[in-house]
Amino acid sequence: MVAIRSLGNCLTYAGLSVAAIVAGFPFVWMILSSFMTRGETVRRVLVPDSLQLSNFITAWSEEDFGLYFANSVIIALLQVSATLLFCLMAAYALARIRFPGREVVFVVILATLMVPETVTMVPNFLIVSWLHEHSPMGWLNNWPALTVPFMASAFSIFLLRQFMRGVPYELWESARIDGAGHLRFLFQIVVPLCRAPLLTVGMFTFIGSWNALGWPLLVTNSPTWRPISVGLQKFVTEAGPEIHLQMAGAVIATIPVLVVYGLIQKEFTEGISMSGLKG
Amino acid sequence: MIDQRREAAIAWALMAPALIVLGVFGIFPIGYAFVVSLHQWRIKCEALIGFKHYARALGDPLSLTIFVVGIAGVGTSMALRRRRGHAAAVGMLGLVTCVVGLVGMIQSGDPRLFNAFKVTLFYAVGTIPSEVGGALLLAYLLFRIMTARGLLRVLYFLPYITPMIATAVVFRTIFSPNPGSIANSVWTYLGFEQQRWLYESQSVAGLLLRGLGVSVHPEWIDALFPSLALTCVIFYNIWVYIGYDTVILLAGLSAIPRQYFESAAIDGASGWQVFRHVALPLLSPSLFFISLVAVIGTFKAFNHIYIMRTAGAQDSVDVVSVLIFDQIYQYHNAGYASALALVLFLAILGLTVLQNRLLGRRVFYGD
Repeated sequence: MVAIRSLGNCLTYAGLSVAAIVAGFPFVWMILSSFMTRGETVRRVLVPDSLQLSNFITAWSEEDFGLYFANSVIIALLQVSATLLFCLMAAYALARIRFPGREVVFVVILATLMVPETVTMVPNFLIVSWLHEHSPMGWLNNWPALTVPFMASAFSIFLLRQFMRGVPYELWESARIDGAGHLRFLFQIVVPLCRAPLLTVGMFTFIGSWNALGWPLLVTNSPTWRPISVGLQKFVTEAGPEIHLQMAGAVIATIPVLVVYGLIQKEFTEGISMSGLKG
Repeated sequence: MIDQRREAAIAWALMAPALIVLGVFGIFPIGYAFVVSLHQWRIKCEALIGFKHYARALGDPLSLTIFVVGIAGVGTSMALRRRRGHAAAVGMLGLVTCVVGLVGMIQSGDPRLFNAFKVTLFYAVGTIPSEVGGALLLAYLLFRIMTARGLLRVLYFLPYITPMIATAVVFRTIFSPNPGSIANSVWTYLGFEQQRWLYESQSVAGLLLRGLGVSVHPEWIDALFPSLALTCVIFYNIWVYIGYDTVILLAGLSAIPRQYFESAAIDGASGWQVFRHVALPLLSPSLFFISLVAVIGTFKAFNHIYIMRTAGAQDSVDVVSVLIFDQIYQYHNAGYASALALVLFLAILGLTVLQNRLLGRRVFYGD
């Protein structure tokens, strides 16, 4: 009996380790290759002789990579802060305030989840071009076109609303007796309680903004506001077979996301787990 | 006591920013896309042409009508199944009609669109079952161990968290046709012939037959299997999403009350029986959720495929989104692109409804 048990445990750990290697290998390889010389990537060695930090400097300075990186950071900051604020307010209204038409609004918001980006792409380009001509500020080739259309998301509203419905109603009643209005209740009591889902929504928005590729290609025709995703895609498809530089670029593009993930890992996992629990 | 109108006004004011953004850039565009799709529209609106783009994409109207009637038949039979005995017959008839219509559409419609749908289907079928099945296994194994669970969970989650633009670039070099690429090194080490991976437009079945020494094989075999390039993309997709699914399923497993497992063990249930009759039914809401997300996700997939596509793979990895984006970005054919996009939207809607009907029923929500 004990023997069978330990055999089962061995198999369990073996299976989990294999999966861990498959999950982790591409990262290890990416990091190792980013430190290699060109010759080493061609000679298929696994570990570089010496660490070529110069790859990162070359990748950074080549093709305005530094500018693209800065653009992506600004775009992400704008998008994450606006999404958090807008979706928080909307989710609160949908979760806590009773008003006629609430269910309809919620269903309409959820329906937008199923619309593929390719459907909205052409109309949104036309809308943004129209705004470009009719507003005092340029939209195309500028941050508004890259951020404003994504400042609210149905998924974020859904996730926050799910969580807020769990906030006990008594809290609201006692807050109101103390003279707090909705806004004060929202920002002083609900927000601190919603740390995990807010960070989760922020992380999802950050990843989405950092990954966006098709739309930025469409609304930027000069490098001024191009994000890093476009830079990397052009770098890979247009530059020669310089794997070490490509990998250095990929590492640079990865670092900010991993840093943020490292900071909020616990809350993020918690927030994600919640999204799948309420069927 | 509470002023209802004031409450409602506050609610609408709070929702206003999000509703404006979603309305202007998420809902209004659906109608606008339909208007654009009825026009010859390149850089500017040129002429109203009615449903010509749809006819070009989907083939002759008669076949389309037959197809829609078939779908309606299948739908009715599913709605009636509980009550009437004839439902199965209606369903079969509907299915046959549907196939007849589809064959007519494929013959007269845009071959690129039907190829793209085929690729999308391969992509979904290749990805979703292995992704969900693998995640189920991993989550169950993780659930059984005590040590290193948190560490492993973070590790499995890394591919999902890392920007796809970066990991797609990494996979592009791992699966390059270069003799020194990782994929080729491993493959030749195992004693197989070098492959062209992401640059290979031939089907995996064709390559397998050739590897076995069969030099000539009928063409229909190639049509039934994905290309090697697409298989690499599928592998990438599983690699990315399996961690996400595992985290969700692990949370689902952890939410199951311990007594259930304990009483099953006392009753002498084997490991498999516990899994099959206790864990699986209680996990079904989570499983349903991730399969819904996976289906919508594969039909919307774009970024990583756009990065991993190569000239060598030809159109064998071009899913519908990629085809549509090419129409917009490369050919500036906004009218036709919008028609294609709305067809894709309808397909996603239909699939979601179907999935809800077929799987939703089997979900066990407890009480």
